Amino acid sequence: MTRLFDRMANAPWLFLAPALAVYAVFAIWPMIDVTLVSFQRWNGIDPTRDFVGLANYTYIFTQDPVFWTAFRNTLIWTALSLVFPPLAGLLLALALNQPLFGRATLRAVFYLPVIIAPIAVATMWRWMYDPFFGLFAQLLTNLGIGIPDFLGDPDLALYSVFIAYFWQQVGFSMVLFLAGLQSVDASLVEASQIDGAGRWNRFKHVTLPAITPTMTIVLVLSLIQSLKAFDIVYGLTGGGPSQSTQMLALWAFSQSMQVFDFGRGGAISVVLLVITVGVVIPYLRWSQRREEQLK
Amino acid sequence: MSSVTIKNLQKSYGAVDVIHGIDVDIAPGEFVILVGPSGCGKSTMLRMVAGLEDISGGTISIGDRVVNDLAPKDRDIAMVFQNYALYPQMTVAQNMGFALEMAGHSKADIARQVARSAEILGLEPLLDRKPANLSGGQRQRVAMGRAIVREPQVFLFDEPLSNLDAKLRVQMRAEIKALHARLGTTILYVTHDQVEAMTMADKIVVLNAGKVEQIGSPLDLYDHPANKFVAGFLGSPAMNFFDATITQNTAQLADGQRVPLGARAGEVAEGQQLTLGLRPETLTLDPAGPLQGRVKLIEPTGSETFIALDIAGQDATVVLKDRLEAAAGDMLRFDVTQGRIHLFAAQSGLAL
Repeated sequence: MTRLFDRMANAPWLFLAPALAVYAVFAIWPMIDVTLVSFQRWNGIDPTRDFVGLANYTYIFTQDPVFWTAFRNTLIWTALSLVFPPLAGLLLALALNQPLFGRATLRAVFYLPVIIAPIAVATMWRWMYDPFFGLFAQLLTNLGIGIPDFLGDPDLALYSVFIAYFWQQVGFSMVLFLAGLQSVDASLVEASQIDGAGRWNRFKHVTLPAITPTMTIVLVLSLIQSLKAFDIVYGLTGGGPSQSTQMLALWAFSQSMQVFDFGRGGAISVVLLVITVGVVIPYLRWSQRREEQLK
Repeated sequence: MSSVTIKNLQKSYGAVDVIHGIDVDIAPGEFVILVGPSGCGKSTMLRMVAGLEDISGGTISIGDRVVNDLAPKDRDIAMVFQNYALYPQMTVAQNMGFALEMAGHSKADIARQVARSAEILGLEPLLDRKPANLSGGQRQRVAMGRAIVREPQVFLFDEPLSNLDAKLRVQMRAEIKALHARLGTTILYVTHDQVEAMTMADKIVVLNAGKVEQIGSPLDLYDHPANKFVAGFLGSPAMNFFDATITQNTAQLADGQRVPLGARAGEVAEGQQLTLGLRPETLTLDPAGPLQGRVKLIEPTGSETFIALDIAGQDATVVLKDRLEAAAGDMLRFDVTQGRIHLFAAQSGLAL
């Protein structure tokens, strides 16, 4: 009897074990390993790794000519990612929450880019951005406007890449907001109509408070997603021209996989990890507290 | 306060008609209750008056204005919702002042009007709280406060007491009635609870399947129901119905028992088939009475005793003021209070 009880008590752990094992091998261990590597010098092949203390960090902060460019680009990228895809996603969700003809189809259409592999998105957009054969070049030529070199101009490239990223990400925010909008209390909407609230005030006083938890989720996920931006940049520009689209995640990859300096790559990854955790956890705490105050 | 005039009101969802041409006149200051079973169209009708549902046909006028095409906010109404619909992020005071804020009143004006309404409903200690920190009864009161702050022409109540427990419901019933007496504003109130309708209304509109069954004062409907539906819907426990045949100035039930019709005998013909309606409280214990039934269940409530009976093969209920020593299976005899006999046509159910 006691043994049966013990077995029952252990059952949840038993069910969790496979997932935990996978998580430990593919998430926890790499995190530990990358931290260890960041304190070492290693080319990825040698059987020995030399402990070098903080040398890799000192190097990337003080001598690496690209690190701060990548850092600045990542900041710009993140700021854009926190504003435009969530905002457009919210507007789309509000529109597609109305009883429109073909609503389900439109929802699917706007969500579709999310399920395309980023590298495929990059290929599509590189073709559209092509200065000779691309869609935009054709359109602008037909309009008689000069053709900017979307991906070749260092002042434009980052924003051109971001537009492709925006196109891919917007459906993701939209779906989350659509789910959130289902929690808006219909009688509150009606009460606000009777109280004389117009569209804007109804949005401000009824819809927005109801979707605040969704907003938190969207912003946190957008933040995490944007900080680790890699494949779409890699596929469109590879970080160029002249490092103008270089990002931290991409630079970490280049240092490790192209320059074979795993120590510096690791150090950049750890910096990225610290930034992500350092922003996300305080934000989650703050929004949780605010939601509790509302209850 | 304003009158409300509803003429030939119709509502259909596609091919499905849910309200079939309803006419109701509400005098200024009148307390009118729409009552009926679930799905009878009473809430839909209220929402059409509020402007929350489109009108498929007919007109609704508030005062002299036809409001069919006016937005809810332009109809000069206030509504109390079943789930109160308070804005969760606002304090009680902000909830109450919201409509005034939307209408562009000054801060000082809003504060003054909110304070006045809070005083009427005893809400002063709650003004800084959020709805989540209020009990059901308090939320109900805030919802009413929000309605009265605006000094509308008409109050609309959509089953406002159905989320409250029984005791609080009785208390709020009295409060709403007192509020109506104090403010004198026209009220249109929807409920499925016939006790609420009976105790609060100046006038009851009984709805069934999208049609008006009867309109009148509570006691008028209770004493003179126009048909079997109204007779059965108003009153708790409900009226007892028996299939009967007129035989020698009596209503003869299926098992041969005869109920003397007294003064009403002249209104019916010998051999006529009809439905006899007897309210539970009009049957009194009498060993020499004409009606006999077998006890199925005794339910003492303390103040009254409900007896579930089988009379002439039909279920019946009797309410006695006194306690009763009897057990299931006992046979009891009852007298029928003369003048309280209801007769309905067997086919149409219309009162005779």
